[in-house]
Amino acid sequence: MWETLAQAVINGLLIGGIYALVSIGVTLIFGVVKIVNFAQGEFVMIGMYISFFLATQFGIDPLVSLVVSMPVLFLAGVLIQHFLIRRVLGPNDMPQIFLTFALSLLLLNLSLMLFSANYRTVHTSYSDEAWHIGGLYIPLAKLIAFAVAMALSGLLWVFLHTTDLGRAMRAASQNRDVAMLMGINPNRVFAVAFGTALALAGAAGSLLMPFYSAYPFVGQVFVLMAFVAVVMGTLGNVMGALVASLMMGIAESLGIQFVGADSGLIVVFGLLLLTLAFRPSGLGARRGR
Amino acid sequence: MQTPGKMKWLWLVIGAVVMLALPQLVTSSFAIDIFIRILLFSFIGVAWNLMGGYAKQLSLGHAAYFGLGAYTSTIMQVNYGISPWIGMVAGGVVAMLASLPIGWLCFRLRGPYFTIATIATAQVLMLIFLKFRDFAWGAEGTTIPNLGSAPLMMQFEEKSSYYYVVLGLLAVGLWITHRIEKSWMGYYLVAIGEDEDAAEAVGVNAPKIKRDIYMISAFLTALAGTFYTQYIYFIDPATAFSFNVSIEAALVSIVGGIGTLWGPVIGTVLLETTSALLQSWLGSSVGGIQLTVYSLILMAVILWRPTGLIGFATDVYHRTLRRKPARA
Repeated sequence: MWETLAQAVINGLLIGGIYALVSIGVTLIFGVVKIVNFAQGEFVMIGMYISFFLATQFGIDPLVSLVVSMPVLFLAGVLIQHFLIRRVLGPNDMPQIFLTFALSLLLLNLSLMLFSANYRTVHTSYSDEAWHIGGLYIPLAKLIAFAVAMALSGLLWVFLHTTDLGRAMRAASQNRDVAMLMGINPNRVFAVAFGTALALAGAAGSLLMPFYSAYPFVGQVFVLMAFVAVVMGTLGNVMGALVASLMMGIAESLGIQFVGADSGLIVVFGLLLLTLAFRPSGLGARRGR
Repeated sequence: MQTPGKMKWLWLVIGAVVMLALPQLVTSSFAIDIFIRILLFSFIGVAWNLMGGYAKQLSLGHAAYFGLGAYTSTIMQVNYGISPWIGMVAGGVVAMLASLPIGWLCFRLRGPYFTIATIATAQVLMLIFLKFRDFAWGAEGTTIPNLGSAPLMMQFEEKSSYYYVVLGLLAVGLWITHRIEKSWMGYYLVAIGEDEDAAEAVGVNAPKIKRDIYMISAFLTALAGTFYTQYIYFIDPATAFSFNVSIEAALVSIVGGIGTLWGPVIGTVLLETTSALLQSWLGSSVGGIQLTVYSLILMAVILWRPTGLIGFATDVYHRTLRRKPARA
């Protein structure tokens, strides 16, 4: 019993690291640019396909292809922010929601046309490796993915807290107008935030590739998790999103273990609805505001 | 400026006559099938537009009510032999009641996060219907027993009869929208859509108005669900709670003209015609092409004409005929 429980928690925690990369991206964009990127999951999908093609065409290990997927998606993010998102920023929600939503539909269906709905996998030397620690089973590929995901999140935290650009981003997310008055260039800050968020999604894709299949709809799984985590962790809060993602991974895994194989999503949505009912401003919200 | 009242009525009568005569003139069942799809999605769009268009509560979860309507009438028909005409209204009532707790939860969030919460509720309902197999046939779904010609059970031999049913639904939806548009509620809705805080500050009871319009919108969407199930003689969670229904409801309104009476109809005509042309062109072999094109149209509208095709048409009309600057 306890071993099953511990195993489920470990499984959830490891996949939660990937959820964290996606949610941090969503919450970063929401915090700084003040829009919700509905297409975030599709960039995870693109990251996966980049790693898949580099692995099958050139034999490059998916973990190594991180150095390709992250810059490519960073650049994509800067371009998308500059040419698309910038044009719909304003008080009106409708264009923002449906522009990123259209982008999500477009990327998803384009990849369906180009790559078909087939599941693509990459088999690496460590895909089947696992550590056994006292009856517990820790798959190496997932452990690596978790460790890299946490390292990247840590790097982002350092970036946000120690560099001028990072501080400018945090300032913009706290109060955009005042930040602009202090001489922060909004377009530059927004572009970097969007690019960084997409780079994180790309990293998530590459990290997933050794143990997860790529297919056009794969992003939907992750983006739903991310949205729930971002609401739970208080909108725009990077640490909140990280903690909530790990919790969601664990909750999903416990749901799969103790309720049934297809009930992971029910548990996650249930959590979202409970959060909305009892703590609508999220778990990380400051009390007594 | 305005079209004189008489002209308006004339156009309406001409339009009605054309729509009533259409299935008699065009008898190809392929064409009637497309007309039915256009009318059905126009109706769903009209239902969505009441809440999404006027009050700008951008739901992407209307499949929840479509599915509840479909399941209510089908369970009543298959298990208890009750006519879908009654089931349709019952489904509408179920959807209305369901919109209360769903709205209570989702309206706690605003803007994009309201949208996400609505997606989640529709998904939860689909998962519930998928998961519990002894309840409403699980993932396999069920076929509706075919009784041949049974108008009292909403089953017809002629496709054109289905056409008239959904035409009637659309007429009701447009009439309700028109009534609301001209009433105090319509103005409150637009006020909430423009700026909810400002509307509340001048005394609009925003939570109540949003709740009421959500109930009306859910009721109408459920009627469409019943009709669709009767039309295709089949129901399962994946079709009844299909995310595509939620997407199309919003898309047709935005492309046609969000928050306008005729916007959803015009949007559906464009999108469904495009989709039918693509299918006859490329066959249905290329997966994803339809939504690829839809998303490109949606992006183009948002970037260049946020007021939709109606806004575009009004602009052109004013520029070429009236030589007066169009209202922004």
